[in-house]
Amino acid sequence: MRKRKRDAQEILPPPVRAVAIAILAILVLIPIAYTLLLSVTPDTQVGSGSLIPSAWAFDNYLQMWSTVNLAQGLANSLIISGIASVIAVILAVGAAYIITRFAFRGRLPYLYSLIGLQTVPSVMLLLPLFVLFASIQAALHFRLVGTYPAVIITYLTFALPFATWLMVSYLGSIPMDLEEAALVDGSTRVQALWRVIVPLALPGMVVALVFSFLTGWNDVLFASVLTSQETRTLAVQLQAFSAAQEGGALPLYGQLMGAAVVSALPVVILYMVFQRYLIGGLTAGGVKG
Amino acid sequence: MSIQPVETAPATTAVLKPKRGRGRIFGGRPMWLIWPSVVLLVVIIGIPLLIAIYISFLSLDQYTLHSWISAPWVGLSNYVTALTAGNVIGASALLSLGVSLAFSLLTTLLIMPIGILAALTVNTSYRGRVLVRTLYLVPYVIPTFVTALVWRMMFLNGTGLVDRFLAAIHVADINTYWLLGPNSFWAMVIADVWASWAFIYIMVLAGLQSISHDVYEAADMDGANGWQKLTQIVLPQLRHILALALLLSTLNHFNNFTLPFVMFGTPPPIQADVLPLNIYVSSFQLFNFGLGGAMSVITLIIMLIPGFLYIRALRLGEVVAS
Repeated sequence: MRKRKRDAQEILPPPVRAVAIAILAILVLIPIAYTLLLSVTPDTQVGSGSLIPSAWAFDNYLQMWSTVNLAQGLANSLIISGIASVIAVILAVGAAYIITRFAFRGRLPYLYSLIGLQTVPSVMLLLPLFVLFASIQAALHFRLVGTYPAVIITYLTFALPFATWLMVSYLGSIPMDLEEAALVDGSTRVQALWRVIVPLALPGMVVALVFSFLTGWNDVLFASVLTSQETRTLAVQLQAFSAAQEGGALPLYGQLMGAAVVSALPVVILYMVFQRYLIGGLTAGGVKG
Repeated sequence: MSIQPVETAPATTAVLKPKRGRGRIFGGRPMWLIWPSVVLLVVIIGIPLLIAIYISFLSLDQYTLHSWISAPWVGLSNYVTALTAGNVIGASALLSLGVSLAFSLLTTLLIMPIGILAALTVNTSYRGRVLVRTLYLVPYVIPTFVTALVWRMMFLNGTGLVDRFLAAIHVADINTYWLLGPNSFWAMVIADVWASWAFIYIMVLAGLQSISHDVYEAADMDGANGWQKLTQIVLPQLRHILALALLLSTLNHFNNFTLPFVMFGTPPPIQADVLPLNIYVSSFQLFNFGLGGAMSVITLIIMLIPGFLYIRALRLGEVVAS
């Protein structure tokens, strides 16, 4: 018997664990390292024989802002995902309050439909929404496709059910005693919701907000059809930039990878900062099945 | 989609058991709080779903789009086209369905062992565990469109890292095409596995934390080794969460549009022409909205099977009945 004091939870012996971590870490890091390397490689040398360029091209990170309209893409992504997620969370809190506090007919079907919506392919909603927008445009003579509201509305199709679902599980865990104290003191239901529940539910609301925001930030499908030159989100701009590199005289792969790094970095940092809270959201309730 | 939160059952049964009558004692029932959500969901999801089904029976293109209500009714012919011919540049819906099924099932099967292994490496505490946990999450949280661009570069013919590596170890020619032809399916699978294994990892880790420490200690007393603990304690205890993870992963991968769209562009190689991408190309690039609608309805019917299983797995009804 070895003398090592071992944790009873230990399943992998430490040497095996170390090897497994090393392999996983290498597999995770190679594409990331390659991306970072390409992002500082001069465009002329991306296709050359050697992997390490003869000179670093840090100015890829400067040039790319004028090659693609990244700043505008960032702003559009912020506006569209931001507004959609704020609307989603506000509506979700109201709906979740009713669902968790009152028994009413249609409550269970409502919960079921929130889950069922997850199985509806997004592209199936995009098609009729596009047709609807187009016919509204033709009938009322104003532009809808290519404007912010059109994209925000479509983002609500995934943000609202998801935020509601998260808020239902969050508000459900807040005991009713707290608001009842406020009700006994004579405040109305809505006042109790606003003064007692909302402050308590704030962490859950932040998680719902961040997830809705990031799902919007990551969307390519809706934005690629419903945005115009001026309202293009970052994701669509990058996709278009990438597609334009085909058949060009000199593909600007260095700048493309620089732009990719800039699009991913805020998201990765956001996750790392809020890791503790977001992991909870990632598996919300999944444990207690 | 790289960020796919697990939208599972509400954490507590209390959620599903509002106490009847209390609303009557204290103030009214401000039901208006739920109406904006209900109305919005009906308008932006309910009605569009019905329209999508209606469109699937029409001959609708960009010229008849503005008056789609009066577009010619063609019955099931879109469905026949979808299942037999497909669009002019892509695969038939049947072929795309095969690609999508193979893709979603294969990636799910591949990420299962990786995710379980990764969770086991951070289950006990040691120095640097926080760092490892953070590292594991990075590929998962990178936006899918960025993942797709990264792997597009990795698989670039001749100059990409994959071709360089395979040529260096003399496994394949440096001129192997990954973004065209039959290899494209595997390129898509590899990129997706890289991005999504942490989903299983997160689920399993959460499950591991719910197993009581006593169980492990009892096993230690009985002299169980690591493998016995894994196969006789951990995996049986995790079977519900693994089943849920399997189902959700298959669903999510089936609906993955962004990865193949950004990785291959349009039209994609036939071998990577997943159903969502096929619908997209048919509808928004060839403007055959009727065909796109028919393919959507076919997809929805197929998704009803895992969707039904998922709802059953959550057992909302039983909780309420209790």
